[in-house]
Amino acid sequence: MNIPAELKYTKDHEWIKMVGDATALVGITDFAQSELGDLVFINLPQEGDEVTAEESFCDVESVKAVSDVMSPCTGVVEEVHTELEDEPQMLNEDPYEAWIARIRDITAYGELMTAEEYEAYIQK
Amino acid sequence: MPELKRTQLYDVHVAAGATMVDFGGWEMPIKYPTDIVAEHLYTRHFCSLFDVSHMGRVLVEGPETVPFLQHVLSSNVKALDLNQAQYAIIPNETGGAVDDAYLYRFEEDRYLLVVNAANTDKDLAHLSEQIKNYDAKMTVITGDWAAIAVQGPKAKEILQKLSGGEAITEPVKNALNTLAFEGRTVRVAKTGYTGEPIGYEVYIETAEAAWLWNRLVELGARPAGLGARDTCRLEACLPLYGHEMGDDPEGKEIPIFAVPLAKFAVSFSEQKGDFIGREPLAKQYEAFKRIQNRDFSDLTDLPRRILPITLLDKGVMRAGMPVYKGGRLIGYVTSGTMVPYYRHEGEGLQTVILEETAKRSIGLAIVDSDTLEDDEVTIDVRGRRLKAVIAPYHMRVDAPPFARPILYRPDGEEAAAPSGDRAPKVLELLGRAVENHVWRQEKCVNLIPSEMTPSRAVRLLCASDPSFRYAEHKKVKSFYDADVFYYQGTEFIDEVERLLVEEMKAFLGSAEAETRCISGQMSNTCVFSALMDWKNHLNRKQDPRRLGYVLNNHIIKGGHLSAQPMGALHDYIAIDPVTERQAVVNFPVCRDNIYKIDVEETKKVIDQYRPEFIIFGKSMVLHKEPVAAIRKYVDEMGLQTTIMYDMAHVLGLIGDHFQKPFQEGAEIVTGSTHKTFFGPQRGVVGVNYKKGELKYGLWETIETRAFPGSVSNHHLGTQLGLLMAAYEMNQFKDEYQAAVISNAKSFARSLKAAGLDVAGDPAIGYTETHQVIVNVGYGTGPDAAMRLERNNIICNYQATPEEEGFTASGALRIGVNEMTRFGFGPKEFDQLAQIMADCILRGREVGGDVAKLRSGYTEMKYCFHEAQVMDALNELAKKSGI
Repeated sequence: MNIPAELKYTKDHEWIKMVGDATALVGITDFAQSELGDLVFINLPQEGDEVTAEESFCDVESVKAVSDVMSPCTGVVEEVHTELEDEPQMLNEDPYEAWIARIRDITAYGELMTAEEYEAYIQK
Repeated sequence: MPELKRTQLYDVHVAAGATMVDFGGWEMPIKYPTDIVAEHLYTRHFCSLFDVSHMGRVLVEGPETVPFLQHVLSSNVKALDLNQAQYAIIPNETGGAVDDAYLYRFEEDRYLLVVNAANTDKDLAHLSEQIKNYDAKMTVITGDWAAIAVQGPKAKEILQKLSGGEAITEPVKNALNTLAFEGRTVRVAKTGYTGEPIGYEVYIETAEAAWLWNRLVELGARPAGLGARDTCRLEACLPLYGHEMGDDPEGKEIPIFAVPLAKFAVSFSEQKGDFIGREPLAKQYEAFKRIQNRDFSDLTDLPRRILPITLLDKGVMRAGMPVYKGGRLIGYVTSGTMVPYYRHEGEGLQTVILEETAKRSIGLAIVDSDTLEDDEVTIDVRGRRLKAVIAPYHMRVDAPPFARPILYRPDGEEAAAPSGDRAPKVLELLGRAVENHVWRQEKCVNLIPSEMTPSRAVRLLCASDPSFRYAEHKKVKSFYDADVFYYQGTEFIDEVERLLVEEMKAFLGSAEAETRCISGQMSNTCVFSALMDWKNHLNRKQDPRRLGYVLNNHIIKGGHLSAQPMGALHDYIAIDPVTERQAVVNFPVCRDNIYKIDVEETKKVIDQYRPEFIIFGKSMVLHKEPVAAIRKYVDEMGLQTTIMYDMAHVLGLIGDHFQKPFQEGAEIVTGSTHKTFFGPQRGVVGVNYKKGELKYGLWETIETRAFPGSVSNHHLGTQLGLLMAAYEMNQFKDEYQAAVISNAKSFARSLKAAGLDVAGDPAIGYTETHQVIVNVGYGTGPDAAMRLERNNIICNYQATPEEEGFTASGALRIGVNEMTRFGFGPKEFDQLAQIMADCILRGREVGGDVAKLRSGYTEMKYCFHEAQVMDALNELAKKSGI
């Protein structure tokens, strides 16, 4: 299971990567995509959406079911990875490159884990 | 929680890395590491394996098995022949479904009922209660036999590797067979739950299950889990209990007729008698028929129906989501997901399935019964109203071996002919007509067995004056059966017709001939209509009874389309009240030669069905038909059966070199005059009934069914042309027929020697007719025929008796008749065989070679070439301005 050391993780299996003081990319983890199986659709947030830590900001659909994606932080959606709309399988193929949104003006974070902590968490 | 049950293949799934889940109390693979999308796509383009051993399997046997099954199932069990399966629903007292099921008859007196895994206990409780009233017993064999579904376009080829080439089943849905796979007994059904047109379910003893699974994987099939099984069945719009049957999302019981398949699965046959749920189902059926006729005045018994639905906006629909039309709630999605498919390009037979894939959001919905196809609706997808449409279907399987995804597209506007000056179009049309004529007559080798270029004399006569005239006429008893014509100016055509009748009688060897039918199909229609009329002629005060049983050649076995219920028999064939099917049975064919009727087996069929009418004749024909043997048997049995030989293809071969139908015992011969015969495109009927015989009345009926029954204008130009063709045939038939048959045998041998797979019996030179069948590989017939056409060789692709239909054709049908007439002999056919092998086997472009070969053979043989005839023809051409 791929768990890059430089990222932070949530208990709902999202990752967050800081790219500025109050700006970050967010996505779903390798573990999440493998549990969900083939992703066939993503309902992306929109630019300008205000998102809240530990609340749903997006959902992804596999063949069998829909799952909410929870935001790791509170802030405003600066940019959306629109390619995912046509190619949701990028989330399966390379989950850490397939970021979902870039969040700016981050004011708060949810409970985050280091790579080590997350690895231990998913092995429980 | 009770412990989950495991199938015979559990260990195999775990070893393959499957994700196992609880499914109806069974620990089953939902997917393998390949995942659902890839498994779905592999099913559609190659072949997948599904473990379906969890499904409940119950053997039912005992003296009252059939009455018991008739009582507890919706279907007509009496219609189920040996080695056939049928879909059935287990209804409850209120017209809902306890479950849906498949009933298999692998053995004469034992039936196998297969039910849903999750419902097995409930079903058994229900059935056990009912069986108490019958002298029959049920045995659960779920643990004794494993079940593996082998589904996808390559399924047949893969299974045939295990059967040593033996046919798996007859190439029709629901056919069954018991055979050996590498020494192990298997029972195979051409059934499945993926919608694949080439799909089988294989039953094998538990101990051999893992062996079979692993062998199939070695041969290229891949495991697929319940996830892909669900997306495949949804794409095929097959119902799933708990979604499309049982209770709807509002908790109301779904009436059985809400499911489109109910139309086929429910029988109200008198033979079936009363059964559980009959009364509410009959009410639902009445409502169903009203709804189909768009009468929505009373929907009480069937308020909602299940229809395919396609999402137009981006998103995914899921079971339970509400569906709206305008602002009104009209129902709910019952199943929905995103399903992958292969993109395709091109049209018709040229459609190419691409490697590129895409996904679409489709589902089934239970919606108000007044909802129509193409209705735009919205679906509440978690608070968002997304646009969707009621689709006719999501997939079609009528172009095997592939299941074809049907993407929703609204009807386009038809392009109307543009207005303006037509003169340029006239020139273009004439130019193209010349081009086509030159190509077909000077460059192409025509091997279509049902075609013949007529001589110049025939063509000129066809186009001369009578071609625009009428000459209706009818025998009148008051004038001692003299023909009375209704129009003047018909003296010439009257004489032509009398001469033609005499020539045709001489040729056919018949007592009478009818030459007014303008096609072979019309000749058959005339005869069928006359037979039915004759059958009812003593009682005209009630609805006439149709014909049945009729014994003919099945279309898959080469039977002529014109003699099928889907062809000219359509309006004249009875429905058997026991089976609720058309009262047609087919000639059995020899096990070792599927192109030949098995006479001994045919006798058994005659004993069983005592057919009132037997139709010999085929359009894929390599052998003589056993007319004499069957005539003898029918006479010995004392049956009043009428025997007809539809000689459409072989009319021009009647005689010493092929068959003399009337001498062998046929009473009626029909034919088309332009295949092996020399004429323009028309039909003919001959009979051997003589004046004074009882059945002469049937002949007179045939005449009245020709006129006024079928034609008012019987196309006098081609009738005149046909008289010339009949002169040519009667003059030259001996040499022509001998040449055709020896050329066919010789061509078959050359094709074989050139490396092609020629069908038929080498001991008789592969063929006894003008036809040769060449196998080019399953499903590749259309490609081979198109490649040959590009190279100036015109023949047609043909489904063999083991193939599902024209798009799955693996053979070419070839006729030597036209090229024989242009002078081809064994030498030319041998050259042609080499060229064809180069083109088919080695992909060489051979168009130039073909045109060169043809260029030496453009002058027609077996017609009159005398100088005086030539002069007369030139005069005709000049005077008629043709």
